[in-house]
Amino acid sequence: MASVTLEGITKRYEDVTAVDDMNLEIRDGEFVTFVGPSGCGKSTTMETIAGLTLPTEGTIDIGDRDVTDLPPKDRGISMVFQNIALFPHMDVYDNISFGLRLRKYDQEEVDRRVEEAADIVQLEGMMDRMPKEMSGGQRQRVAIARAIVRKPDAFLMDEPLANLDAELKVHMRTQLQRLHRELDTTIIYVTHDQAQAMTMSDRIAVINSGVLQQVAPPLECYNEPANLFVAGFIGSPAMNFLEGEVVDDGFESTYTNFDFDPATQGVQTGQEITAGVRPEDVYLERDAEKATAPTKAFDAVVDVIEPMGSEMFVYLLFDRDVEASAEGRGEGQLLINLTPDAEIEEGDNIQVVMDRNKTHLFDRASGEAITHSLE
Amino acid sequence: MSDRVSDTPDAPNGSDPAATGVAADGGVADGSTADEPPLDPTADEPELDRGIIEAWAARMISNPDRAYRATFYVATIFFLVTTLFPFYWLFMVAITPRGNLSDVGVLTPGGFNPGAFIEIFTTLPFHRYVFNSFLIATIATVAVLLVGSLAGYVFGRLRFKGRNAMLLLVLVTSFFPPAAFFIPLNRLFNRNVDALRPLIADGSLYNTPYAIFIPLSAIFLPLSIFILMTFYSQIPDGLEDAARVEGTTRLGALFRVIVPLSAPGVATAGVLTFISVYNEYFFSSLMTDGRAGSWAPMLEGILRFQGEFEVLFNLMAAASIVAVLPVAILVVVAQEKIVSGLTSGAVKE
Repeated sequence: MASVTLEGITKRYEDVTAVDDMNLEIRDGEFVTFVGPSGCGKSTTMETIAGLTLPTEGTIDIGDRDVTDLPPKDRGISMVFQNIALFPHMDVYDNISFGLRLRKYDQEEVDRRVEEAADIVQLEGMMDRMPKEMSGGQRQRVAIARAIVRKPDAFLMDEPLANLDAELKVHMRTQLQRLHRELDTTIIYVTHDQAQAMTMSDRIAVINSGVLQQVAPPLECYNEPANLFVAGFIGSPAMNFLEGEVVDDGFESTYTNFDFDPATQGVQTGQEITAGVRPEDVYLERDAEKATAPTKAFDAVVDVIEPMGSEMFVYLLFDRDVEASAEGRGEGQLLINLTPDAEIEEGDNIQVVMDRNKTHLFDRASGEAITHSLE
Repeated sequence: MSDRVSDTPDAPNGSDPAATGVAADGGVADGSTADEPPLDPTADEPELDRGIIEAWAARMISNPDRAYRATFYVATIFFLVTTLFPFYWLFMVAITPRGNLSDVGVLTPGGFNPGAFIEIFTTLPFHRYVFNSFLIATIATVAVLLVGSLAGYVFGRLRFKGRNAMLLLVLVTSFFPPAAFFIPLNRLFNRNVDALRPLIADGSLYNTPYAIFIPLSAIFLPLSIFILMTFYSQIPDGLEDAARVEGTTRLGALFRVIVPLSAPGVATAGVLTFISVYNEYFFSSLMTDGRAGSWAPMLEGILRFQGEFEVLFNLMAAASIVAVLPVAILVVVAQEKIVSGLTSGAVKE
């Protein structure tokens, strides 16, 4: 067990910067998830921690050791890969014991540890199977056993569940959380799936274009996103954004306006800002009392209703003339989340209110969050 | 349309059966020739007066699978006869007694004397010649696979500037005729190098196995690099990364994971090198004086049965058959791997 510290990690390829000046301190025993869209540099960051890629600049410490120039085998880490990467020519026992045998542990110790690891991931009785004779979930468990058998200082997991089917993914997610609790080891986890990030992590590190956007516990990222990117990336369906500007008594955009005192929120009149509100923080006007502090009501037209059973997604247009974009999230459109008993029909004219306490303001130029509540 | 229909009965026998068939079909479709009772084209066939070949061709067209099968057997038999018959005939020559060599027929021997297979080892130390070739081929194969694996790893799995240029340079050396290297190499190996004196009797590589396997390894190396490169490049990166995280160096990952997973490619490269070096004559004959003790190769031994006044064809034949055995055994053993190596480069993960 050990902490992992990244200081100024930068990885440049000939024409692109994959990771840009990343500073991050992962505490001992913490479960940290790197999350971001494909190609954002999260896997590259993980590879630099593993030692499979050398950073162009910066240093990496694991525990008290500077491991920046050490080869992967001397870093005290183990890794689970996206494509599972079991050695196809070795049976389960040989796969799990590969690292121990390389380190010349005596046979008894190897047997004992392999048995222990197999026990944790429930692989008893499969020791002489070959990887190709196993199902995807079983292979993934072998890969995890191979990672834990060496009792490393930190686990690196690079999208380990990406190739599993949906049901198995949810099941393995719970297993991984249980594993983290049992082993109490630092885990660094990479995924583009925010559901995995939200459910498993102590903290998530949101990365975009090689730049660290926010490192915080999952709910903090959700409730107080540091900038427009985090606000849009975390949460499904994503936050609604309304582009407008600050006027003397509040915010005004093409279709909506609400009032607040610019001075108390630290914005100036004329400043271009984007207001953000999550689908569940918009209410029908007749249910306005559910909001802790409702704004005044806006007119809207119901465009499309998507009943999900436990909830209902409703795509609204602020005006009948608005051209609905394919994904339903463009200018003049609003996605809201209602309870399934809301009695509305497609084409209805309705009025909605937003919750002032849950309305975020972002500076449009820098994307930085200004406030997470208008009160 | 009606013109063609009326033409049908007059169609000459030699015409393309396919064309006849089409015309017959046309007649059926038209239906104007009401006199002919059955309109089924297959029922028509016996009435046409066809030659044997034409009838055969018509059958092949109506049943192409037969044609494919027939072609397959013809090609296979032709191939087997041309490759195996020489061996059969060699054997016939080998068991013919020395005095009856002119009586050897195409299929029958001129007598029976299996003693030739013993005689080749008593007249000459032929086993020593075979051993020389075998040893040189083994050393060359090991050297080629070792160096080829390292080079194949670099060319197949690493990305660096000038990779393609360097690969091309390596491959270009295999385009030169080996004879182009001979004179400089011969000069080099015939020279007495003082530095080598403590290691080799007179400090010269002439008449040593080194003089043979060094140039031969170098000549057959590019092909092996190319084969191994293709195989190594197909091993998923994740496997190498996994091995390195688990505790190997890059070299360790190469020999513990990449090479075992590329077994068909390694077997192919190894067997091709072994056979080529084992059968090699040009360099081997020029780098030694032809005596068994001077590491002369197997082919040199076979040619030694050619005396001043007489050519002992039966012994040469027997020796040839014996010399083929080690390679034949090797190929049979490695056959499965070689076949999958030559036909596919796919590696299942």
